[in-house]
Amino acid sequence: MNISIKQLFGRKPKSSNIAKQRLKLVITQDRLNVDDRFMTRLHHELAEVLAKYFEFSVNSVQMSLKQEGNSYVLVADIPYKKLHDLNARQ
Amino acid sequence: MGKVIVVTSGKGGVGKTTSTANLGTALALLGKTVVVVDADVGLRNLDIVMGLESRIVYTSMDVIEKQCELGKALVKDRRVDGLTLLAASQKNNKDDIQPEQMKAICDKLKASHDFVLIDSPAGIERGFINASAGADEAIIVTTPDVSAIRDADRIIGLLQHAGIEPINLVLNRFSPQLVGNGSMMDQEDVLDILNIDLIGIVPEDTGVITSTNRGIPLVYEDASPGSQAYMRIARRLTGQRIPIPDLEQKGFLSNIVNWFTRNR
Ligand SMILES: Nc1ncnc2c1ncn2[C@@H]1O[C@H](COP(=O)(O)OP(=O)(O)OP(=O)(O)O)[C@@H](O)[C@H]1O
Ligand SMILES: [Mg+2]
Repeated sequence: MNISIKQLFGRKPKSSNIAKQRLKLVITQDRLNVDDRFMTRLHHELAEVLAKYFEFSVNSVQMSLKQEGNSYVLVADIPYKKLHDLNARQ
Repeated sequence: MGKVIVVTSGKGGVGKTTSTANLGTALALLGKTVVVVDADVGLRNLDIVMGLESRIVYTSMDVIEKQCELGKALVKDRRVDGLTLLAASQKNNKDDIQPEQMKAICDKLKASHDFVLIDSPAGIERGFINASAGADEAIIVTTPDVSAIRDADRIIGLLQHAGIEPINLVLNRFSPQLVGNGSMMDQEDVLDILNIDLIGIVPEDTGVITSTNRGIPLVYEDASPGSQAYMRIARRLTGQRIPIPDLEQKGFLSNIVNWFTRNR
């Protein structure tokens, strides 16, 4: 049997839950008819602005459109290393 | 006046033809008059799945080209009263038929039958547009996997745009065991995403494969879980209120099995 301790204690999320979460995201974008380039552009331009305020790695930024009831939400997850000292730059 | 129901999916191979054959037969077994129409022009299969392949003389193309009367093109299924098949032409392709021509056929058929079930081809192009042109209602068939569900959502959007209502969901090839151990989405997950009404869950059943081999729809075989599922869906289509049984395995034994096999 090829089950790790981690699996035995059920810490790994169920693949059905992962499927559901991924589907919800992609279907929201499908329904909104979002252009494939839209998210990349938004990602780039937002990163440019954010770089003025934070130190972070561009690749770690996660952005997605979600549907919550009848409204749509842009969710961004931006892990940063530190805030820039804005006063020092002036 | 009956109703025209298109059986469609977006993604291919999820069970549209199987569902059309079984629901058509089941409705006839319940005493309804039914025509099943193969709209998969060029790739017809409903005839062979139903075991009627050796009896096709005319197709919907011949009716459109006025080579024969509509009534004459309907192949009678001799195993049950009230069931006929209108075959698709195998030597034409989807562009040879106009949506209005399909609609005209559907309108005529529903005037003299309780149910007209249309077996749609996969995809969102012309074949699907033709298949849904004369439809009053739709049945979406999906399997519980990401690609089939995503494609189903696209189709639902197109059907809603065309004003086709209600749109009911058949969740096919459901595996209680896989759902139990967390490797397959259950009906709640799927409904939460697609937001339409569920009309039935058909379990994965090897009987579907053997009955297709024989050309005898599964609903003739009372004991099979797939057969019972299709009979329940047919009853719901006739307006009977039949609860959807919970197929998920939640027994003590399966919990133990799940403990050892989960998270796959
Ligand atoms: N509940 C089920 N259990 C087991 N096998 C199934 C089930 N439903 C369908 N199948 C099998 O899946 C295959 C595809 O089914 P079917 O031809 O009905 O799909 P389809 O949606 O009509 O495909 P296409 O898009 O090519 O027209 C067939 O081999 C069929 O026997
Ligand atoms: Mg088919």
